[in-house]
This record gives sequence, structure tokens and C-alpha cells, in this order.
Amino acid sequence: MPNLSLHGISKRFGSTLALDGVDFDLVPGEIHALLGENGAGKSTLMNILRGLTQPSTGEISLDGHPVRFDAPQDSTRVGIGMVHQHFLLVPTFTVAENLALASPDKYPPLREAADAAKRLGWSIPFNTQVSNLPVGTQQRVEILKALLGNAQILLFDEPTAVLAPSEVEELFIVLRALRLEGRSLVFVSHKLNEVMALCDRVTILRRGKNAGTIAVSATTAEDLAQRMVGGVSETVPIISSVKTLEMREQPHNTLLSVTHLSTVGGLDSVALHDITFTLQAGETLGFAGVDGNGQAELAEVLTGLRPRSAGRITLRGREISRVTPRDLERLGIALIPPDRQRQGLALTLSIADNLTLEAVNLPRFRRGPGGIFIDRSGLRAFAAQLAADFDIRADDLSQPARSLSGGNQQKIVIARALWHKPDLLVAVSPTRGLDIAATGYIHARLRERQAEGGATVLISTELDEVAALSTRIAVLYEGKIVGIVPPETPRETLSLMMGGRTAENTLG
Amino acid sequence: MAETITQAARILAALATAFGLTLLVILLAHQDPQAALSALASGAFGSPYAIAETLTKTIPLLLTGLGVAIAFRARLWNIGGEGQFLVGALAASALGAYVLKSLPAFVLIPLMLLAGSAAGALWAGLAGWMRTARGVPEVISTIMLNFIAAQLLSYLLHGPMQERAHAQPASEALPLTATLPSLWPGTTLHWGLLIALGMAGVVAVFLFRTRAGFALKLVGANPEAARAAGVDVAETRLTTMLWSGGLCGLAGAVELSGVVGTLYENYSPGYGFAAVAVALLGRLNPWGIFASALFFGALNAGSGSMERSAGISANLSYVLQAITLLVLLAFQWIRWTPRRVIVPESTP
Repeated sequence: MPNLSLHGISKRFGSTLALDGVDFDLVPGEIHALLGENGAGKSTLMNILRGLTQPSTGEISLDGHPVRFDAPQDSTRVGIGMVHQHFLLVPTFTVAENLALASPDKYPPLREAADAAKRLGWSIPFNTQVSNLPVGTQQRVEILKALLGNAQILLFDEPTAVLAPSEVEELFIVLRALRLEGRSLVFVSHKLNEVMALCDRVTILRRGKNAGTIAVSATTAEDLAQRMVGGVSETVPIISSVKTLEMREQPHNTLLSVTHLSTVGGLDSVALHDITFTLQAGETLGFAGVDGNGQAELAEVLTGLRPRSAGRITLRGREISRVTPRDLERLGIALIPPDRQRQGLALTLSIADNLTLEAVNLPRFRRGPGGIFIDRSGLRAFAAQLAADFDIRADDLSQPARSLSGGNQQKIVIARALWHKPDLLVAVSPTRGLDIAATGYIHARLRERQAEGGATVLISTELDEVAALSTRIAVLYEGKIVGIVPPETPRETLSLMMGGRTAENTLG
Repeated sequence: MAETITQAARILAALATAFGLTLLVILLAHQDPQAALSALASGAFGSPYAIAETLTKTIPLLLTGLGVAIAFRARLWNIGGEGQFLVGALAASALGAYVLKSLPAFVLIPLMLLAGSAAGALWAGLAGWMRTARGVPEVISTIMLNFIAAQLLSYLLHGPMQERAHAQPASEALPLTATLPSLWPGTTLHWGLLIALGMAGVVAVFLFRTRAGFALKLVGANPEAARAAGVDVAETRLTTMLWSGGLCGLAGAVELSGVVGTLYENYSPGYGFAAVAVALLGRLNPWGIFASALFFGALNAGSGSMERSAGISANLSYVLQAITLLVLLAFQWIRWTPRRVIVPESTP
């Protein structure tokens, strides 16, 4: 008998359906992986289980009885604990103080925590300030916190994201020990090898829907990759309609050339290794891959937001390795950043301001000595023109950008990237989180730019999108290019490549 | 338009609440509120002299309020207006009463004001540099620099800058040639009002009509988007702190040259701190700040007369100031809260 089951869970945020009728169940003594791309709904599902957010529709039941989690305390009470990806510890408190803070009771639960630590073979310095502990130990404190009250169900939200490889092994040993004690664990991840190595069953989320729950022993990493990024037969009508501008007869006219490009990785970034490719005018090179394999880093290094450690980037034969964001427009490069709310827009500023973030620096909008003044009416007219050209639906451009829907917000980003017809466009997840209509519109604009002779580096975790827009597809895996293949390459092959196999191996 | 009206309504509601709370304080102190209020009103507006006094008190509040607002607009929490005000006055005094005191007024006064601004800018720039180069939070560094400025003042007044008789810790008085001319003969009002109003205009132009002002706004709204749009975030923050400190320093110099003449140890009655209330009540808008500086100026001027004729301590005006600030913050919080809970349309 499943001890926790979710039925038909949906969650709506504004106009977006983050979860769409998801079923999920958990039995005692299993590690159940929740696998999916960023934005697939994994965190939302976890937050519902934890009581941090409530489902719009659907039922949760525990041992057959319906339950409601209106607050985290409710889920704690029935024995659900969560280990957050970003630890919820007070850095200036000691371990003991943090445990006391998390305890539902009034007394510090030191004995209980010490027992648990002993069982798991840990030595925890209970009187040390948390900020002085290494990340791996901080995570153990989080696990102890989650175990307080003898929680039988533990949710781990991307627990390996913050760990070094050796620490990952140790974590796995602990997770297996917890399973042996009969607890059920939910393991959220987008890393296939971890799921294959650790888990018993896996539920794949794709665009907020359950794309299958299967036993790990009955599947392969390639199968999971394929389910994660989109089924073989699945097509999105708007995208597939136009397809393939022929691989045009180009005079051999290399626009962008990247050779032996590498970067240094960090705590939350992947290192790029020896990236080499060229791009002709009128070409779109799509970068496919499971999220977190160097896509964001590649976009940043191409647009000067991240330093490189080795290699060369040339645009029309000119070295641009030391480009900064300020130079982009002059060089004819534009960026559609991956996260419009973080890097693309200033949500509290007006729509008109957001449309002119770069345009204020154009000579034609400068006034006065040294161009220190701006031509406000000129900029207003310019913003209105862009809003009309890019179909941005707003009653009043002086409203703050956050009043717009996600699709219209993204159109602001697209408008700023495309109006000056850049020779090179770096587009990262240009349709993330958007509905079909907005996605179709943005694809049409990208295709139009391509037809005009612009070159595009398209980085997206949506395989459908990459396949529909690209003239060639490069697959990234762990910061390396596994291979560059034509867009007609079968999905199965691409999936294998996304799991790290080279193109030759998959074909041969 | 509707937004402007609701904002105005919110400010009026906040002021009314603050006013009500102040009445409560007066009642709790067993005083007659009617007598208190009429004394307050007559001290602020009751005679030409009172009006001039209100305007005179408005000047330093307007200048420091503008300075603080510029920083706040870039989400830089400059709490060091007080220290910048003091070093501005110090620099002006050093030039006007010591180094250059024999220069004619038309050269000396501009030089003093310039030196005051430069000193204030430098003082705030230090905090700005520590923020951009070393990541030191400007809230802390500007507060610390307040203490350093106060101690520096104290040291100089006991040492190199003490008046000739060495009788008390005060500076040499400014000569007449270093004193801002009167704007309204027979009253305290001086040319500083025109300087302050002029600066409000300059700040408005800077914020709303220059590229640097646009960059400042963008850095305040979203530094990451600013960086992606090619703005040099560190440089913008640094120049913002220079502007901010420059205005507070100018306030110190103008107050010295227009009103006080002599530096002494509690030279500033907290203008640099009042500036935070002035800037927030003015919604960080230069003309709004003029209105709120006028409001607090009237309060300061009126509270003196309240003390004299109704026997209520002038400190009441500080109570009212503090209550207004707290109520405003509370009202702002009411405004922000519902917006915060809107979840972004894409899940992380």
C-alpha cells in the first residue's frame, strides 16, 4: 500500500500551468527520483508536499486518508521533512541552535539529533557556528533537521547541486542507509547518472506533466533523457509547420569562429572544455543538452558576461575574446538571456524604460555636450515603435514591466535583441515558460532574422525548439561538445548524445 | 494618473495618522493640544519672520534630502548624510575662516561651497569605494563614517581650528565676506534657499534627463539587468555616492555660511538623519522632497515657538518627525506586501 499518494495535482501561477494533473506515489523504503528540466515543475511539486504552496486542484492522501498541507508545520506533523537545495540554516547560529529553531517542540532536540547522527556515522560539532562548517556538513545538519520528529518521508531538492563529487558519494551512502531504515525518500534531480545509481523508481516531469513513472531497473539513461526532453512522436504544431530553411548555398563566409574555448567552473557553474565551432551568416546553430551541462556558461562567455580561461572567439575574423556587454551592440551581437526577470528586465521600471535600456546610449538619442542628456520624447517614440513592431500588448507603456504577462515581457527582451538586426544573436531558452502563441511568435521572429542572413546561437533545453529552428545541432554534455549533427538526426541519437555518447558511437 | 492620486492619498493618510499619534503624545504628556498646535502654527507661519524661519530651516533639509534620495534611488542606503554634512561644514569653515579668509566674497563663497561639496562627496565616496571594491555594505560604512566625522570635528575644534582665545571648542567665526547674503532683509532667510532650489532642479534634470540618471535608476531596479545592458554597475554606484555626499556636504557649507558662521561640537541637529525622513516622505522625487523639506522645516521652526509660548519641549518636533517616518514606512509596507506574494509565472 502506497503510504503517500498524490492524485491529479495541478498548480497555476497566473497564466502559467506549472503542474498539470500530476499523479505521484511513494512507498515505504524506496528512493523515488523526480526528474525533469528546470521549469518542469519539480520544485513546485516538492513545495506542495512540504506545505509551502497549495495545489490549485488535486488530492493528497496519506495511508489512504486525505490530507491538507496549509503550512510546513502540517507536513512536519505527519512526518514529512525536507532538505532544501539552498540550506535554510541561520549561519551565525550554532548547529544546536539551528536544530532548536527547527524543532516543533520547545526543548532543544539535541539527544534525538545526536542519536540520528550516531546512527548515520557522522560526527557533528553541535556547538560550532554553522557558517564555519563545510558545505557537506551543513547539508548533514539540514538532514538532521529534516529527521527531527522521526520523519518517515524525506524530500531532497537537488541535494547534489552544492556538493563536490566525493561528497556526493558520501551523501548516497547516507541516503541508502535512510532507505534501509524503512523511510521513503524523494530525490529531485536533473542528473541522469545520479538517478540511475541511486534510485528505485523514477517519475519524469515534463512541462508540468507526469511523463511516466518507471522502475529504474527497467530503464536506461538514454530512455530517461528522451522522456525528459520530449517524446519521439510528440510535436508542437506551430513549430513544425515552417521548418528547414534549406542549408543554403553559402559563400564560405564564416561569421563566428570559436576555437578551443574553455572556462573555469565554480560552485554553481560548469566549466566549458575546448569548445570549437564556426557559424555562417544565415545559420542557426542549436545547442541541445540536458540543463546544467554548460549552456548558460557558453552564452555568458560569448557575450562577455563571463571570462574565458583559454581559446579564441572571432567575429568576422576580428578577435572579440575580450568583449564586454557594452560593446555588444557596436559589434552587432545581441543576447536573449535565459532568465528574463533576472537579467533581461527591470520589472519595477516602466515598459518604455525597459525597451530602451540600451537605446539610451545611441548617438541619435543623445543630446547636449558630450551627449550626457537623453532625448526623452525621442526615446518614448522609439519605445512605442518597438512595442508596435514586436506586438507587445500593453495599454500604457508607462506602466511597470511587471504588469505584463510573461509572453509580453519576453517580447520586450526579444525586441531589444532584434531591432538593430544583429549579425550574431545568442538566444538562451527564448521561450521558457511561455504559452504556445507567444512561443510561435518568437520562433517566427527568430526565423525571420535567420532568413535575413543573421546568425544565431540557439541554446535551449527544449529539443523540439532546437530541432525546429536550427540548421545544425551541437550537443553539450558536461561542458564539452559531444558532436555537431544535422537537424534531421533522429531523436534517439540526440538523446544518446545528451547522455554523453559521441555521434559516431551512436550511429555505429 | 490614478496611481498618482492613490499615492497622494496614501501620503495624506500617513500624515494624518502621524498627526493623530502626535496629538496622543501631547495628551499623554498632560498638555493642552490646542495651545500646542496654535503655538506650532504661529511659529511656522504666523508672521513674515516665522515664514522666513521656516524657509531657512527648509534649506539644509532640502539639500540633504536630495542627497539621500539620489543614493536611495540606486538602492544605496546612505545613512551617512550627517557625517557628510559635518565634513562639508568643516571644509567650508577651513577655507572661509582660515585659509582664504582675505579673498573677496564673490570668489570666497563659491569656493567654500565647492569645497564643502567636495568634502562631502569624498566622505561618501569612501563608502562607495569600499562597497564597489571590497563589498563593504554602505549602510555600515556610512554610519561609521558619521562617528569619524564627529570625532574629526571635535579634534579640530580642540586643536588646529580652535578660535583664537582658546576659550571654548569652537571655530573662528566666518568673516562677513564668507557669509551668504540675506534674501529677505530683516529675517534669517539667506541665499541658500535659491542654491537649494537650484540643486533640486539640477537633481531633477540629472535623474530624469541624463544617461547617467537612467543608468542610476536601472542599477537600483535590477543590477544584473543593468550589467547585461552594458551599464558599469560599480562606476554608477560610485558616482551616485559622490553625488549623494556632495549634496549633503553642500548642505553643511550652506548652513555654515548662511546661518551659523561658527563651528562647534554639536554643529548639526541631525539634519543628515532627518534627511532620510525627508527623502522618503518626498517619495525620492526632487519636487516631492522640496514639499517634505518644507513640512519638516515648518515643524522645526514651529516647535521652537511651541516651547517658548506653550511650554512644550521642542523635542516634540523630533517625536513627530520620527512618528511620520515610521508611519510612512508602515504605509509603504502595506503598499508592497500584496505585490510581493505574486509568484513569477515560471517556476524555478
